[in-house]
Amino acid sequence: MGIIKKFKSLLHDDWCSNCQIQMTENYKQLFMLPMSVGHYISHKNADYYKKNLVKVNSKKEIPISIYACGIKKYRCSKCGKSLVQLSIFLPVRDQEKYEETIYYKNGELDTFIEDNRKI
Amino acid sequence: MENKKIKKINLLYLLGYIFIPMILITICYVISYNFFKEGTMCVILLLGSPFISIMWWIFGGKIIFKKGKKRLEKMFKEQGFVQNNTFYGDGTEVIVDINAGKIGLQFFWNPSESYIISAKRIGKAWVDDGKGGAGFLEGSSCVSFLFTIDNIKVRVYTFKSNQRFKMDSNYILTGISKADKMVNVLETARNNDK
Repeated sequence: MGIIKKFKSLLHDDWCSNCQIQMTENYKQLFMLPMSVGHYISHKNADYYKKNLVKVNSKKEIPISIYACGIKKYRCSKCGKSLVQLSIFLPVRDQEKYEETIYYKNGELDTFIEDNRKI
Repeated sequence: MENKKIKKINLLYLLGYIFIPMILITICYVISYNFFKEGTMCVILLLGSPFISIMWWIFGGKIIFKKGKKRLEKMFKEQGFVQNNTFYGDGTEVIVDINAGKIGLQFFWNPSESYIISAKRIGKAWVDDGKGGAGFLEGSSCVSFLFTIDNIKVRVYTFKSNQRFKMDSNYILTGISKADKMVNVLETARNNDK
């Protein structure tokens, strides 16, 4: 059973790698990433996102051909470990062109998320 | 300059581009047949002229078009306009100064002319996603944005391929996004031009 759970946790991004259980989503927000189509550059440093992400309420608020970033924060109810998932995509009419998904496991974006929660 | 009629193709240039190398090859072959039936000169005439012609067809147009693009960008700056948006399409370059409402155009088949026109002259701008086929064959091989200037239609490709892609493929979505952006830019420039 333990091996199956461990294997399952490898396949699911929102599963805790320590406890092998599904983490609960406790934050979800859409942001605008000021990069236009054809000029996307991948950034792994969390500081870049802290400086450049602009909070929006819906995709309609994002100008044409500008990238969007969906942030989700997960927390393990057993061990308290948290994980932040950034999904970067280009909204194109009613579709989305996915660029990449980045994970932060060491609380790099926690203060940014808390600051945005207050707004 | 601003009211100059848009000419997408210079017929003389187009014909010259295709036929001058052919004429050169024919002349070289005739000279070789009549005067140099063997020897170094014969080799130069028989192999050199087709080589030069092929090089011209592959690179000549691109080099001339590149010079035209540079000239247009220089002219745009010299006239005090800001290059807010530049789109290098397949055979057409479009430069837009959104705030001043000015558009710069350079065409591959008319490289001697660079146009800087008022955005007011744009009648209509729209996106063609090239969607075709039905069922599982539905898809596109090209995406473009189009606009009319004094009823002359200008098409600029944002994506072009010899394969057909599904409408939700990354290539098509990127092409549509670029085309949507350019249509938006052109319409904003037209509204800003007073």
